[in-house]
Amino acid sequence: MKQSTKVTAALLAGSTFLSVPAWAQESFYTKAAEPYAGTTIRILDEVTPLQEKVFDIIPQFEELTGITVELELLGHAEVINRGQADMLSGRGFYDGVMMHNYQLAPMLTAGVIRSIDDYVADPALSDPDFNADDLIQRPYTTTSFTGGKQYGFNNWNYNEVYWARADLFAHPEEQAAFNEKYGYDLGPAETITQMRDIAEFFTRDAGETLAGETLEADFYGIVLEGIKGGSTFPTLWSALIKNYGGRLLDENGAPAFDSPETVEALTMWAELWSFAPPGIAEYSLVDVPTVMGNGLAAQTLAWSDFVFGVDVPGASPYAGDFVYGPIPFKDGREEERSVEADVSVVVISEASENPEATFLFLQWLASEEAQAALIEAGNGGVPIRQSSWELPAIADSEMTSLYAAMRSTLDVAEAKPKMPDSFEIMDAMSGIAQEVGLGRLTPEEGAAQGQAAMLEICTQCLMQ
Amino acid sequence: MTSITETDPPLQTTRARDKREALYPYLLIAPSMITLVVVALIPFLYAIYLSFHEARFGRVTEFAGFANYASLLADERFWNSVSVAATFVFIAVPIEFMLGLAGALILGQNVKGRSILIPLLFMPAMMAPVVVGLLWKIMLAGSWGFISYNVFERFGMFPDTSIFASPDYALYALIFVDIWQWTPFMMLAFFAGLQALPVAPFRAAAIDGAGPLRIFFRLTLPMMTPLLAVIGLLRFIDAFKVFDTMYILTNGGPGTSTETPSILANKMTFEFWNIGEASALAVIVWIAFFIFCNIFYQVAKKRLNAF
Repeated sequence: MKQSTKVTAALLAGSTFLSVPAWAQESFYTKAAEPYAGTTIRILDEVTPLQEKVFDIIPQFEELTGITVELELLGHAEVINRGQADMLSGRGFYDGVMMHNYQLAPMLTAGVIRSIDDYVADPALSDPDFNADDLIQRPYTTTSFTGGKQYGFNNWNYNEVYWARADLFAHPEEQAAFNEKYGYDLGPAETITQMRDIAEFFTRDAGETLAGETLEADFYGIVLEGIKGGSTFPTLWSALIKNYGGRLLDENGAPAFDSPETVEALTMWAELWSFAPPGIAEYSLVDVPTVMGNGLAAQTLAWSDFVFGVDVPGASPYAGDFVYGPIPFKDGREEERSVEADVSVVVISEASENPEATFLFLQWLASEEAQAALIEAGNGGVPIRQSSWELPAIADSEMTSLYAAMRSTLDVAEAKPKMPDSFEIMDAMSGIAQEVGLGRLTPEEGAAQGQAAMLEICTQCLMQ
Repeated sequence: MTSITETDPPLQTTRARDKREALYPYLLIAPSMITLVVVALIPFLYAIYLSFHEARFGRVTEFAGFANYASLLADERFWNSVSVAATFVFIAVPIEFMLGLAGALILGQNVKGRSILIPLLFMPAMMAPVVVGLLWKIMLAGSWGFISYNVFERFGMFPDTSIFASPDYALYALIFVDIWQWTPFMMLAFFAGLQALPVAPFRAAAIDGAGPLRIFFRLTLPMMTPLLAVIGLLRFIDAFKVFDTMYILTNGGPGTSTETPSILANKMTFEFWNIGEASALAVIVWIAFFIFCNIFYQVAKKRLNAF
């Protein structure tokens, strides 16, 4: 063979190798999955536009490992009911089930979640390139670990951000009127007091003027989730009460809701509700972005992933007019700021017959490579890894303020305390949050009734 | 003369045939009885068993005696749910009953377009309760609901709240939805009963010069009583158990203002996983209904000639 032919052949071979995507190359996962090739695993997760993108990348894992992944996506309530029922019954139909962080304590107490410590310690299963340090640490360490054991990798870092109408804030007449009334410039709220002022300022009746135009319908200064259940109480707790220095439990895990700080936060909560649409007590986390998208309110605290469905041309007439920011903190308490995030993890059921294959999938899904593919497939998303912030779909996105807000939230986001009675607590407290918001209870009564409701459920509320 | 032994079957054969004939009806109802036992009786007996045990997170642990019952009966939330259900039933069912009966009497007058109207009346009852919930959510949702926006907001009604967000109005809105869904069914059931009444007594009464009111109270109502009693009882039981529409529209809120025993039991079971106490709730509701239905049955049988 001539020298030139050899060189051409070598170049061709090289270019062929280089053109094979990284995931299709012989990898750790191919070798690790050899004993499990041909296995089928079932994963139950919640249906959201982001989670749907996992379907796009599953073929990569299946090709690498020979493990078939059957992913089932259900609505929020159904994934909780069905997933928990499957795990508690010991049926093991699902190998992996998505758990919101507040579900972990009840399920750990019931002993139906498998620790992954043995798999992480097993060189045959543990990906040497996984780089756990790259996972956004605070949500990861507070969610995936309990009592010194690891139960999974964070799969979803859902988080709330501050979301407002930039076009209203930029209007010269509104700016001047706001400055005259409150003595500072109008802009995205950085503190809770500013959020309250903006809410008051923009609450207007039909017939009044907003940004130079006459309103045909009432306009509201703020919209918040207020439905019974959902994330109504988690938002009140994490984005208001904790920011005011109040707390649900003391350091020993005993209820500590009836503090002056909680009363102060509940007072602000009730005040914010007075500037919200009259239907706030029936607004779910889906209604809030709908109200924003329809231009009925000036600002909100909302789940950032919903923005992707609203702030896009064609989805809302106000697309492009929004601005995002970190969750406002209480004046003077920036260092102790608190945010609401619903960090979630897919856990391996104790009844799973394929724990190793499931572990390999979950580890791969949280890997740098899979996360990059997922964010590329979704043209953005909610990162679980620090390195994801640098990906082109995020770094080059036009939604710079949204990603900056998300990042700010995730820097301090943490899982809820591990409470075995978390569902009962959330249910009782969300009813009280509604009644305080609606003015049926005073903030003092709300704090006292919340404390009494907590004590009725548990005197020591943390998982032992 | 032929001997008995030659013509009649032997005594043993006759007995066997009698036995077979006696068993035959039981054989016929066996499939439904077995199904009933498997799907209703066994789960109910298991619920009773669970109600006497500590059962949390799907694990049945120690015998708890009456602790679950005591805890439930001491729980304000349980009594609130009973009160909510009672308000719901005692307002919704009589209204449905009266409107249904009035509608049936009107339909019985050969009104124009009856053949078109009757199929339309089936529609609400044919809808899945979840669909009914979603439909009324779209109608009455705060700010953006079709009726909320076009009627309430434009005419300044409920300015400080929305229907389902108000502890004062939410339950009445749910009652309204139930009336909307079930009145047509009552109307059709009563109309079918009216059509089945014998014509002769009515002709005789008309010849004797009885007026419409007299005919209604002396003939129609007494002859319809058994049907009215049965339909009324079934609707009463059904309304007490209402779950789907409430779950969709308010999920028991705001606060606990629309939380019925069904909603509470669902939360206790599938959210709190306090299965022992949830079973106790189911048993208490069952006992209450068993007593009520028995009293109703005896009264209806003796006084109303029903059953």
